[in-house]
Amino acid sequence: MTLMEALQQFVNECNKNARLREMNRDWSRRIQLESADTKSLHWLVSDKGEVEAGSGAVDNPDMLIEAPEGTLTAIFSGQMTPTEPYNNGDLLVHGQQDDMMRLDILTLLIWGE
Amino acid sequence: MQNSLSRVLPLRTAISTSAGLASAAVNFLAAVEVAEYVAGQSAWIAILVAGVLIVFAGSNFSELNGLFPSAAAIRVWIRRGVNDQTSLVSSLVYMLTVVFVIAADAFVLGHTFSAAVPAVPALVWILLLLGVVVWTNARGIKMAGRVQDANAFILLGTLIVFSVVVLLKTPHLNQFHFFHLGSQWYEAVALGIFIFVGFEWVTPLAEEFRDFRAIPRGMYIALGLIAVAFGLFSLALTVAFPQAHVLASSFVPQLLVGMRALGPFGFWWMAFVTLTTAMTTFNGGLLSASRFVYALARERVLPRWFSRLNKRLVPQNALIALAVISFGLAVGVYLTGQYLFLINAGAGVESFMYALSSALVISLRRREPNRSRPFRAFGYPLVPIVSGLIFMGLGVEALLTPVTKSGFPWSLVFVLAIVGAAVLYVKWMVPRLKAQKPGPPISRVETKERV
Repeated sequence: MTLMEALQQFVNECNKNARLREMNRDWSRRIQLESADTKSLHWLVSDKGEVEAGSGAVDNPDMLIEAPEGTLTAIFSGQMTPTEPYNNGDLLVHGQQDDMMRLDILTLLIWGE
Repeated sequence: MQNSLSRVLPLRTAISTSAGLASAAVNFLAAVEVAEYVAGQSAWIAILVAGVLIVFAGSNFSELNGLFPSAAAIRVWIRRGVNDQTSLVSSLVYMLTVVFVIAADAFVLGHTFSAAVPAVPALVWILLLLGVVVWTNARGIKMAGRVQDANAFILLGTLIVFSVVVLLKTPHLNQFHFFHLGSQWYEAVALGIFIFVGFEWVTPLAEEFRDFRAIPRGMYIALGLIAVAFGLFSLALTVAFPQAHVLASSFVPQLLVGMRALGPFGFWWMAFVTLTTAMTTFNGGLLSASRFVYALARERVLPRWFSRLNKRLVPQNALIALAVISFGLAVGVYLTGQYLFLINAGAGVESFMYALSSALVISLRRREPNRSRPFRAFGYPLVPIVSGLIFMGLGVEALLTPVTKSGFPWSLVFVLAIVGAAVLYVKWMVPRLKAQKPGPPISRVETKERV
């Protein structure tokens, strides 16, 4: 699975879940993902409960997430919780902690513990 | 990364967070204890020396923070610099120091309000104010950054102004021995460390600053402000009340200084500042510690129960558990009056943590020599080695300092018991928790109760 495929899967899970859409209604954020090894860029945008993903740069991101591409793919496909690479220093984040926690909660709600 | 972040924190917040987290209400009692050990007016020198030593720890934290700018901070640094088990034990013990400080602040707050409003028992005040902070946190209401910023500057400003007023009002200042070093001066420096405890808790905010220089600058400016404010406070205290042992029976030295400086207005202003300081400590401590407990539960290091969220996405179980432990400890300390062991234990644990920061700088320079370091520790490797050894010695001294007339080092026993429990937990419980089958996605089960 590629990172883009994992992001698309993550987006589909978010958008098809009415409860998550409701939860994200007041959470509009632009998230830039950078693969630390391949330097490829992807983005996630949450806008009024709907989440979208794409490749490339996003303007004025609220949050920047940097990790090896394999780690990002594993996180967004539910094979790994973000906490594990985060607490090991393999996942670096720039942005507000509340946004990081919200993203962690989204993965928890979608993929479980 | 190509684009700049839309929202970042300013240097002002780095300073206020560092100063605010270090400036707990229990620092007033720590200043009295330092004055008792130097047996005179030179407590300010002990506090200044402790502050200068801590600058070296700040230099270590700045390098580590630049290396791994993460809210998980010490959890990451120790894991990369030593190993996972040491990281877990240290993180658990470090987190408990937050609980010590909250409990100690609750003790001070209780006594302050008992002095100001004697009709209401101190334990009621403690329960009420802790309850308010838990309730607001559980509802996802956060203290605005500007309020937190303002509180730190108001406290330090008040201490500086009131202390100067007391000094100006005191006749014949030349009769005092401002440079006399008592026989227990080394102990005084070891306990002086406590006054700065928590200055480094700004590092978990690293992700919210775009300019990596903000945190080192913030920490250094905060250390300077704390040293000046509490140095002057100890000076005013020892000049206004030359017999330091008289203060030992008072749990509200800040109110005495307020009264001496500006009369009843000074007394009530100090009571107000104590309230805001303690509330900031409760709020900051419970907020950050509950998120840390949540993260450990997500890692399956703590029971899954701690990762449960309420409908406002707050880790409510972690929050309530920490508040209950803090309250229990505060009640125990209040009923026994033995607050000194919390100060000594806090100073000891933090001194060891500062020594560990030196070891981590050295270890990570060897393990990850090519990783980007926006800030480098001063005088590597000599300064980190020497400062690490000094902090080890100060840590031992703080823990060996007697807290009762029997001279028995209860603080050492207390810290050893906590470290022993953490080691046993990490060795026996964590593997079992990690081996548990992962739970199902929360959105697919009864979400109302769990989320």
